[in-house]
Amino acid sequence: MPQVKIIAKNFMDMVASLPAMKLDKLYANAFICEAILRSLPPLAKKYVLQMLYIEGPVSAKSIEEWVLAEGLSKHKVAIDRLIQLRLFTETADRKRETTYRLNPVLQGNLQKLLTSGEVLPREPMPSNVTGRLPSLEDLEAFALEKWECFLLQLINSSQAEKPTNISSSMMKIFQRGLLSQREKEAPRLTESGFQFLLMDTNAQLWYIIREYISNSEERGVDPADLISFFLELSFHVTGEAYNIDTLNDVQMDTIKDLSDLGLVKLQKGRKESWFIPTKLATNLSMSLTDSSSRKQGFVVVETNFRMYAYSTSRLHCEILRLFSRIEYQLPNLIVGAITKESLYTAFENGITADQIISFIQQNAHPRVAERIPSVPENVTDQIRLWESDLNRIETTPAHHYDEFPSREVFEGACDFAREWNGLLWEDSKKMRPVVKAEIHMHMRDYLRRQK
Amino acid sequence: MASVASKLYADDVSLVMVLLDTNPLFWSSSSLPFSNFLSHVLSFLNSILLLNQFNQVVVIASGYNSCDYIYDSSLATNQGSDSGKMPALCSNLLQKLEEFVIRDEQLRKEVSGDGLPSSMLSGSLSMALCYIQKVFRSGPLHPQPRILCLQGSPDGPEQYVAIMNAIFSAQRSMVPIDSCYIGSNNSAFLQQASYITGGVYLKPQQLEGLFQYLSTVFATDLQSRSFLQLPKSVGVDFRASCFCHKKTIDMGYVCSVCLSIFCKHHKKCSTCGSVFGQAQSDASTASNRKRKTSET
Repeated sequence: MPQVKIIAKNFMDMVASLPAMKLDKLYANAFICEAILRSLPPLAKKYVLQMLYIEGPVSAKSIEEWVLAEGLSKHKVAIDRLIQLRLFTETADRKRETTYRLNPVLQGNLQKLLTSGEVLPREPMPSNVTGRLPSLEDLEAFALEKWECFLLQLINSSQAEKPTNISSSMMKIFQRGLLSQREKEAPRLTESGFQFLLMDTNAQLWYIIREYISNSEERGVDPADLISFFLELSFHVTGEAYNIDTLNDVQMDTIKDLSDLGLVKLQKGRKESWFIPTKLATNLSMSLTDSSSRKQGFVVVETNFRMYAYSTSRLHCEILRLFSRIEYQLPNLIVGAITKESLYTAFENGITADQIISFIQQNAHPRVAERIPSVPENVTDQIRLWESDLNRIETTPAHHYDEFPSREVFEGACDFAREWNGLLWEDSKKMRPVVKAEIHMHMRDYLRRQK
Repeated sequence: MASVASKLYADDVSLVMVLLDTNPLFWSSSSLPFSNFLSHVLSFLNSILLLNQFNQVVVIASGYNSCDYIYDSSLATNQGSDSGKMPALCSNLLQKLEEFVIRDEQLRKEVSGDGLPSSMLSGSLSMALCYIQKVFRSGPLHPQPRILCLQGSPDGPEQYVAIMNAIFSAQRSMVPIDSCYIGSNNSAFLQQASYITGGVYLKPQQLEGLFQYLSTVFATDLQSRSFLQLPKSVGVDFRASCFCHKKTIDMGYVCSVCLSIFCKHHKKCSTCGSVFGQAQSDASTASNRKRKTSET
């Protein structure tokens, strides 16, 4: 299923795929250096730190001596990543010895971070100008509401009660890939659309932001500027107010879109206006690593396949409806059942059993999350069994051979195919073997030689 | 449980408890000025916080009369930025440190001892372990804790029992104790602590490059340690201190009931109260003596 790749972990790949010039420009910003350092695998972080005060190049051999034999594969992954992101520059000297050097711009920035600390490009506004700011709980509720509203609109434009201000062209871009848009037909969720809904909030957010950035060039905005703005934003303090005048025009446009996604809250005072970053924004750089967010779950699944979801959110209801039959909807509780029929519709839509199970597990109610397993085993097993029910037939491309001149040739051919582990079926009476397609070429050579 | 927790929490999230030796008697005689030492350590703390958003650093000062928490990055996050603003970190830590040193100084006047130049390592180790226990009990999701002792003062044999108890309790809760010893001779306590708990003991050769030692060896998270070449212990001094006169000895008497160690023959064990028989003769006494070199 190639579509699974939409998972937002690949944001760093997107950064890595920027042209070298732009990448080097990005590292001029200390925040990006920090965010990128944090996104690296642990071993790679270690290397950067170790090389931080080494000015000259270090030979690949001596770096390899840092690791034990068991860690060699991890070492290669780390070095590859560092080169890919241009944190390390690789040079080969006359003696063909590879040496690595830390990117000098990044090196300087990180050294500065360690000794003098980071300075945000803008200071939080004093409280006498802004008055009472919303509390952290209010802010989180605001962010959540905005985000759910956006998601609802995304999957079903008509259902959103309060349509967001995001232009319909923008919405179309986000929906691209998630909804199939045929003319004169209501848009339907595609396979990746369903998968998108089952991802956690941070992953969804990064998917949307990726789309937003990759679309920026059409609007005449430099993607590198946007990336640096997003990463910078993630280092602001949740709940503090920042003056909107400190932003440039591009950032101003962006921040308006972000407020519709719930990343920031815009407020207006008597004279000035300001933005307050929410948790969604400050978690951005954190979710670059694969550690997912720690969200409180709400779903309880019982051994009798009944499912109780303690949630008031319509979005949750819609998501649960993807793979279960919703029976009652109480003010704070959704009661449903996982049935064979409901799962079959989910499988038809391209959702896999593993995705459903991991969704229930990740969103397990705290009461059941402590238990092992958090979802009863008979339920997870049954979901997998029902999925494998649909895959009872397996197709393998194959070739059918006929009209063998003699039994010896036929048997020799069968033995040859067996050696290659490719004999699928044989009829020894009529002398007809069926052989996997991938060894057809070898088979043909073999038969030619027999002639 | 472990697999679930590690899925939700990246492997390299660490909680580093740094035990800072602030013994003025040691620092006044050290070749590395305390201010230089501090600037290396501050950069090191910053680098730990830089590596991961969830990383946490707690600094405990061990003076020569008392010990106290002087910095906790999880408390600082509420007011500063999530990574702990460096100037804020420095100023907070330095201010607390100054208050602590003054308090520590005043305590000395009350005690008016002969000023043995060892610091309260046992106390700060226990405080670190208490803090870690609190973190363990806070829920299934917690960073991986480890303790780093930055010690310069010589061992205080009178703290032997308390330190050994702390070491074994760290071993039980699988908390490694790393130690970086800046003093002139090796520290037997810290060697044993790191050896028993699976931590790293290091005595830097060039103190001017302390930061490089710290970041190379001690910034490594527990997960990565299994892949990296780290300094191995060359030889560990396993000598114990006797319970009666707090002297470091390599041969002595051991109570057969509670394994307390004494340098001289006693009639009664001072720890558990068991009554010992008379030493029969000089020859048999020698055979009753137990070598305390490789056990413990």
